Amino acid sequence: MALDRHGIFERMICPPPAKQAACEFISTLRYTEANTSPQTHLQLPPPPEKPLRPTSFFFVATCICWIGFPSIQKMDSVAQQDSITVQNDKGGAKKTVPRPPQDRQIEFFESRIRPVLVQHCYPCHSDESGKQKGGLLLDSRPGTHRGGDTGAAVVPGKVDASLLIGAIRYEDFEMPPEGKLPERVILDFEKWIEEGAADPRTAELAAAGRGATVNAAKKRAGIDWQSARKFWSFLPPRVRSLPPVKDPAWPNNRIDYFVQSAMENRELHPARSASVRELNRRLAFDLTGLPPGEIREDLDQLTDELLASKSFGEKWARHWLDLARYAEDQAHIVGNNQALFYPNAYLYRDWVIDAFNRDLSYDQFVMQQLSADLVAAKEKRTPGNQELAALGFIGLGPKYYRRNDLAVMADEWEDRVDTVSRGLLGLTVACARCHDHKYDPISTQDYYALAGVFASTEMYNKPLQENPQPEAGKKSGKAAPGKTLHIVRDTKKPRNLNVFIRGDSSSKGPIVERRFLTLLDDTKQPFGDSNSGRLALAKAITRAENPLFARVIVNRVWTVLVGKPLVGTPSNFGELGERPSHPALLDDLAARFMQQDWSIKWLVREIVSSATYRQSSLASSDSMQADPGNRLISRMNRKRLTVEQWRDAILDAGSQLDHRIGGPSMDPANPAEKRRTIYARVSRFQLNSMLAMFDFPDPNAHAAQRSNTISPLQKMFALNSRFLLEQTKKLADRIQQTEKKLNDEEFIETTYQLLFQRPPNTTERSVGRRFLENDSDSSGSKRSSYLQSLIISNEFTYID
Amino acid sequence: MMSHITQSGFRLSRRQMIKRCGAGFGALGLTDLIHRNTKAATPSQSPIVNFPARAKRVIFLFMNGGPSHVDLFDEKPALAKYAGELPKEKTKRNNKAGYWPTPFRFKKHGQSGVEISELMPRLASCADDLTVIRSMYADEPNHEPGLLLMNSGNQQPIRPSLGSWASYGLGSENENLPAFVVLCPGRPVVGPQLWSNAFLPPQHQGMSLDTNEQDIGKLIANLNHPVASRREQREQLDLLRQLNQIHSLQRNRDMELEAHIKAFEMAFQMQKEASDVFDLNRESRKTRDAYGDTPFGRSCLMARRLAEADVRFTQVYYVTKSSKQPWDTHNDNAGGHIKLCRDADQATAALISDLKQRGMLDETLVIWGGEFGRTPFAQKGKNKSKPGRDHHSDAFSMVLAGGGTQGGLMYGKTDDFGMHALEKRVHVHDLHATILHLMGIDHEKLTYRYSGRDFRLTDVYGKVVRDLLA
Repeated sequence: MALDRHGIFERMICPPPAKQAACEFISTLRYTEANTSPQTHLQLPPPPEKPLRPTSFFFVATCICWIGFPSIQKMDSVAQQDSITVQNDKGGAKKTVPRPPQDRQIEFFESRIRPVLVQHCYPCHSDESGKQKGGLLLDSRPGTHRGGDTGAAVVPGKVDASLLIGAIRYEDFEMPPEGKLPERVILDFEKWIEEGAADPRTAELAAAGRGATVNAAKKRAGIDWQSARKFWSFLPPRVRSLPPVKDPAWPNNRIDYFVQSAMENRELHPARSASVRELNRRLAFDLTGLPPGEIREDLDQLTDELLASKSFGEKWARHWLDLARYAEDQAHIVGNNQALFYPNAYLYRDWVIDAFNRDLSYDQFVMQQLSADLVAAKEKRTPGNQELAALGFIGLGPKYYRRNDLAVMADEWEDRVDTVSRGLLGLTVACARCHDHKYDPISTQDYYALAGVFASTEMYNKPLQENPQPEAGKKSGKAAPGKTLHIVRDTKKPRNLNVFIRGDSSSKGPIVERRFLTLLDDTKQPFGDSNSGRLALAKAITRAENPLFARVIVNRVWTVLVGKPLVGTPSNFGELGERPSHPALLDDLAARFMQQDWSIKWLVREIVSSATYRQSSLASSDSMQADPGNRLISRMNRKRLTVEQWRDAILDAGSQLDHRIGGPSMDPANPAEKRRTIYARVSRFQLNSMLAMFDFPDPNAHAAQRSNTISPLQKMFALNSRFLLEQTKKLADRIQQTEKKLNDEEFIETTYQLLFQRPPNTTERSVGRRFLENDSDSSGSKRSSYLQSLIISNEFTYID
Repeated sequence: MMSHITQSGFRLSRRQMIKRCGAGFGALGLTDLIHRNTKAATPSQSPIVNFPARAKRVIFLFMNGGPSHVDLFDEKPALAKYAGELPKEKTKRNNKAGYWPTPFRFKKHGQSGVEISELMPRLASCADDLTVIRSMYADEPNHEPGLLLMNSGNQQPIRPSLGSWASYGLGSENENLPAFVVLCPGRPVVGPQLWSNAFLPPQHQGMSLDTNEQDIGKLIANLNHPVASRREQREQLDLLRQLNQIHSLQRNRDMELEAHIKAFEMAFQMQKEASDVFDLNRESRKTRDAYGDTPFGRSCLMARRLAEADVRFTQVYYVTKSSKQPWDTHNDNAGGHIKLCRDADQATAALISDLKQRGMLDETLVIWGGEFGRTPFAQKGKNKSKPGRDHHSDAFSMVLAGGGTQGGLMYGKTDDFGMHALEKRVHVHDLHATILHLMGIDHEKLTYRYSGRDFRLTDVYGKVVRDLLA
């Protein structure tokens, strides 16, 4: 596979300073070990078991590797030997040969070996170049001897055991990658190694060894878990005492005390309260994704009704599907083979909608999605399809090309680990696939402990019917995806994974038992071998002691409602993530959310009942000046409609929206489709162009947040697309139908009431009149054009 | 080091501004409009641009399926000598049919003596402008990973494409057109992932056009209003602008709201410019004939028009309505190549000489090649008398022209049979590093923070092949 092509297994790119630091400590470790335990090099090797390669004339004992380095004291006894014992290539009688003069060996190194190393190897394997690909440094003697991830590059006297030779012979690796060295040079290297690999590069060693010792000590000590757990997001959230505020009249609930106190610290004041009309619109779009109906004065009652409406689940499910990278197919199709597709993915989508509507507690919500099958098994009952559909969270994950290949499966496990860890925990655990996390206390062992759970889990198309009729010409047992539920199940035999060194599946390190992250469970208790470990993983993630689980979802819900997150990186609560703007508020909300039995509806109600949420989006000049990014929430954020909200609102304007809930997906490109946008088919292969154009995330991977782009392409869609033009006509029909023969003035008035729940102001009236009075024909095209302009205007597209 | 995205903050950095308001067409252009009074940063001030750019733009002609190096650019007389003999090594594809010599004659061309087979007579006349890399190699002899590797530097479909990286790194020179355009007369294997922006902001996705369509309205979705005249649309836009301004004025002229107003104006401008650029009828009969009236020929001509309009990265896929990978000649390799080269040769040569004639070749890098090469040994299919060649990723050729490349150069060497790249080997990552270098980008510095790590087109690999640079 691609990785070992260069013999480099370092897969991930890290920011330069980090990379340097990492290199530093790895090299230090290497030097330090070489320095402190030279005796390992002094042991005589066992007689060779394999026949020697033809070019290898005789076998030299390893001990001579230290010849020429009298500066290293412990070697002196060996270095002072006058002769060495060798074995001939038949492995037979030992004989003693005079040692070649030391000077001659050094000279050979300087004239024939060093120049080649400098020219061809140093660019990727030296301190100076800052690169040590494959963990290999060839610019010093110990580095060369110790080798890289795959073992010793040079074993003095043992050409066979020296990986360097295999590499330059293009046998194991192909080095240097730009072209094979001439045979003559390769023979030089073999000769050099046979004769003991004399290498005077001790000065380099000393230089490189200095300054890195501190890091090495650190490294040997490993992650300091105790101090690592003091990071803000790893401390358990707790209910906080309310901060004092100067103006006690403002707060509506606990949220507001934290927000107001932070504002007052910066001498800012909250914005005035939004109007009832604005709040009706805001609440309707935020809670159900749909425009408001009749204006209601009692906002608390309105909130309850919106929370109880079935549209609530349709709105909120979509946010979840973004982070679950929900899709119904794969990024590729091999020929016309759709065997890897998920035609019934909608069953999972509908499960999510339903779960939000019945306010399934969030811990159960996640528990089901990770392990519905195992939960049922534990309770000794047979789960129904309804229940199992939850497993689509993993079961609809991407399947890559060539799935029988270990390296490809390793990529799939990474997807699962990434989706679970970023999605549920706000941790970038996938960073630790190739090396310990550079910033967060997550070790490579932790990564493989989790990956093992997914390696013990397989994608499964479960027949929807109890006893499926075997299809003609098909082997029984494998149902066509068309009649199945796309979920997961445990493999027959759960397995623990080896650490793949630098993420390379062919380079295996120690086996790691399946367990949770050390950071969040210091007992390192293995999940056991009774099943894949998904159940134990789900329990570990969802337990109240997990400091991240509640915080992460609270921040996500907050973001949807308030428009900006408390933690600016919703899927990264680690060192490189942003710090919360209101840490105590986040804690307080998270702790109370758990107390409220993880009720999402409680959380939504709590946030939208706050005075914070009910502020106007109009900034005072103080607020704008002191806090242009609105980190302190001294006004409400103006929110742009998502593509789902926008399309649904347009359909609703012309009374076209089909309110049926659930069922198979539809093609949003079909103008006859009137169902809500959440029911659009989501493709990894080719995302619908309208969705893609309006910031719908790429469903190939977990999406932390949607982008907000403004592009002329979007505007061409707004101006010229068939969808917009047709819906404008429907809106025109609706307005003409409900009222009799409207004059321009009445037409404008009706339109504003219908779309914005308000009358037009004087300027808007006159601008509208002027546009409409120039109507050259009576077909009403001018009125259509007018209506279209309103639908694509900023007022329609934004929630104040 | 370049700044990363921060999703909240007190002030919008320039880059954040680009991200928030970045446009599908003219990412930087739109930002510039918003900051009309401030001096907008130009791409050349970007910290990732470390070298003087030689190639202002790239045209990548992609031969889907994998053209045969031993039949086009890499003559191997040993194949004739050992015809029918089985390779001594273990091969990744079935080699039971033995080595198979090319039936085509090779000749040295131009003053430089670049060797090209008789399949490419017109391209041969551009020999002194060509750099033929004969020592290319990739990782897998399968289309899916090969295509993804060549187009995104990674064999799995979750990374941004080469063109998206170029767009992200350099932005757009023409605010009325996208920075990355994909001309695709049909649908290649893998499909849209090949021009995906993945985790880069959406404006860096390639805009793909089905160039089987010659009608401009069908070529670009929503380019024009189906009924309204331009005057009528202008009137509508004036109304819209006034309504939006009233709305914006009541909201302290919120920058984001203002960006929408600008974007509508840009869309209106773009409708006109795009209609011009994508309309091949504006070319003379003679020019159109020179490129050839085939989907590939028309796409190459359109690529030249896009280059003139300063589109940063244009990719032309050699696919057809009926075939997702015409160069995948498992059957009748020779016959297939004769047919494919007819228009591939004509259009590629026409493009290179046209660019040269217009003085644009120096700053336009043209790349020709596929995801890999084909086996030097035969593959016997249904028709035993017309063998094919199988996939081959251990050695293949890519051709470069213009954009700061030397020209008149054969670079690297394969072994006697064309089985392995041997000397001066160039991996796909190295090619990517070199392309970015020619565009003035340091491939190790063009990074994007996503999911807690900094991603690069070349991952941890890639070396600029300096010998190719002029």
